[in-house]
Amino acid sequence: MKKYFRELSVVAALGAVLLGLAMFAPAFFQPQPLLSLVTREAPTLVVACGMALVIIARQIDISVGSQFSVCSVCAGLLAARGWPLVLVLPASALLGASLGAINGLLVAGLRLPSIVVTLATMVTLRQGLNLFRQGEFVNMPDKFQWLGLSQSGGQWTLVGAAFALLIVLGLAMRHVAAGRFVYAVGTDAEAARLAGIRPGRVTFLVFIFIGALTGLAAIMNIVQSPQVQPLSGAGLELKVIAAVVVGGVAISGGRGNLWGAFAGLLLLACVSPALTHLHIEAYWEKAIQGAIILLAVVADGVRSRKESRG
Amino acid sequence: MKSLLLRLTLFLCAGLAATTAADSELVVAFLPKSKGNAYFISCKAGADKAAKELGVELLFDGPTDSNAAKQNEIVENWITLGVDVIAVAAENKEGISTALRKAQKAGIKVVTYDADSMPDARSFFVNQATPQGIGYGLMDEAARLLNSEGEFAIITASLTAANQREWQKHIEARLAEKYPKMKLVAVRPCDDLKDKAQSEATALMSANPNLKLILAICSPGVPGAAEAVKQAGKTGKVKVIGLGLPNENKRYVHEGVTDSVILWNTGDLGYLTIYAGVALAKGELKPDAKTFKAGKLGSFEIIGDNIMLGKPFIFNKGNIDQFDF
Repeated sequence: MKKYFRELSVVAALGAVLLGLAMFAPAFFQPQPLLSLVTREAPTLVVACGMALVIIARQIDISVGSQFSVCSVCAGLLAARGWPLVLVLPASALLGASLGAINGLLVAGLRLPSIVVTLATMVTLRQGLNLFRQGEFVNMPDKFQWLGLSQSGGQWTLVGAAFALLIVLGLAMRHVAAGRFVYAVGTDAEAARLAGIRPGRVTFLVFIFIGALTGLAAIMNIVQSPQVQPLSGAGLELKVIAAVVVGGVAISGGRGNLWGAFAGLLLLACVSPALTHLHIEAYWEKAIQGAIILLAVVADGVRSRKESRG
Repeated sequence: MKSLLLRLTLFLCAGLAATTAADSELVVAFLPKSKGNAYFISCKAGADKAAKELGVELLFDGPTDSNAAKQNEIVENWITLGVDVIAVAAENKEGISTALRKAQKAGIKVVTYDADSMPDARSFFVNQATPQGIGYGLMDEAARLLNSEGEFAIITASLTAANQREWQKHIEARLAEKYPKMKLVAVRPCDDLKDKAQSEATALMSANPNLKLILAICSPGVPGAAEAVKQAGKTGKVKVIGLGLPNENKRYVHEGVTDSVILWNTGDLGYLTIYAGVALAKGELKPDAKTFKAGKLGSFEIIGDNIMLGKPFIFNKGNIDQFDF
């Protein structure tokens, strides 16, 4: 119980928000709009899972938004050329993984700081895409939307897929050796090396992994509407990093889990619709989200000081 | 090698221009921000029409991407070529102005359209829309669709962007002035993201059961709101209008989700620009003019050194397919 105090406090905050909405704005819980809103966050959850791994490994990847945009546009163009979903999906994941591999090579191979490397790839990819599309939407064939299913069928599939991925990864991080390696490298790379882990390889693979997840998330996003906006990933990196940090994953690496990141994502994502339902001015949206992040960081800071005094 | 090739091409062009100059008096050069961009191609369609009516030669060239330096290069080439009129949509306001001043010194008449240069670097700016024209146009269209009665919400790009605030201010002014039975229930930002606009519109509809219309004042907001309305099964019950581009909205206009998309008529913008440039070169358009007559489009107001294209244009089911940008 005490071990999960940090995650549980986020869940408690989320519960309080939902309780408040149930009392003052019960219309928030109408099933159809709620399902739509949750479905819109499913791709974000997938990227957030990858980001949690990256941050646990004591790295950061701020290029995910640009990767997401590039994968979305490329997947959209392939779909428009008549490629079926069964081919577009792996193509997008593969493209994402390749973009991740570039980051991984530069960070693990050349030992460059990940914030600088991914800043560079973020800008390069985004500007390359601007040059290539000039903001023009990609129109996709109708059968692509909702994976060829009905609207609610598609929505449940997407939510189910994101949730399944979360559970599998969340458990794997705890119970599979590869998952433990990520924690080990993030806690102390040198100690991990002495224990027989190759930190460079783990880092490299983590970047490939978040790339592949981003490619997958891009597909989960573009099937929700008939056209792709080339800008679609703008700001995604901040959204997922915030979710992960609010969820109790330490930015200094080695600590936290995916359940917390999930709760953090839900808490941040419900701010905007909650304000709409409570008829509160939109100015508050970013301020409240910022305050939540600040609170989380302060809580972590206080905790680590206590621990170091021991 | 590249520059040699360029010079050779220019020489040939100059030769061509010289031969055509015999039967068409003037050469007008028309510079878009980017020549592959569908928006400017539709401007060019109007420019072509005007050039044909006036019997002038139209040169159309621009960067393949939105490249300010390339624009300067093209203007320099046109100066060497000795064209009579240059019409420019400036990618970079300050950046292009040096080259344009040089053109004016060489006796070339300069007008800008779509995006202005520094005022001293051109004679007139063909102004496609004023914030008031856009704000009033949007509000009037919303009122027309709702019979001046009911709740509506605005989706904006961001609460702080200057142009968005300006439009919103004029929408609210018009609302207060003319439509007492209409109520603006919420203004939500979408960060210029279609996907966020979709989430915002979804929440707006469930939070405001009497919502009759969503008005998006940023272009990604229009298809985003439309997709949300469609997914909520509220097509026709909640109307969607906004400031946007025809191609991004055609699908929803035909499905009856989006009623109108408002912008200016890009063809008319190109047409008016060419007419103004030619009139300037012929000495028919003076700096202190108050109105200007452009062929079949009739008379346009001039405010200061801005030739006003006038009321925004409404794209709807009946006409949207004629536009491709």
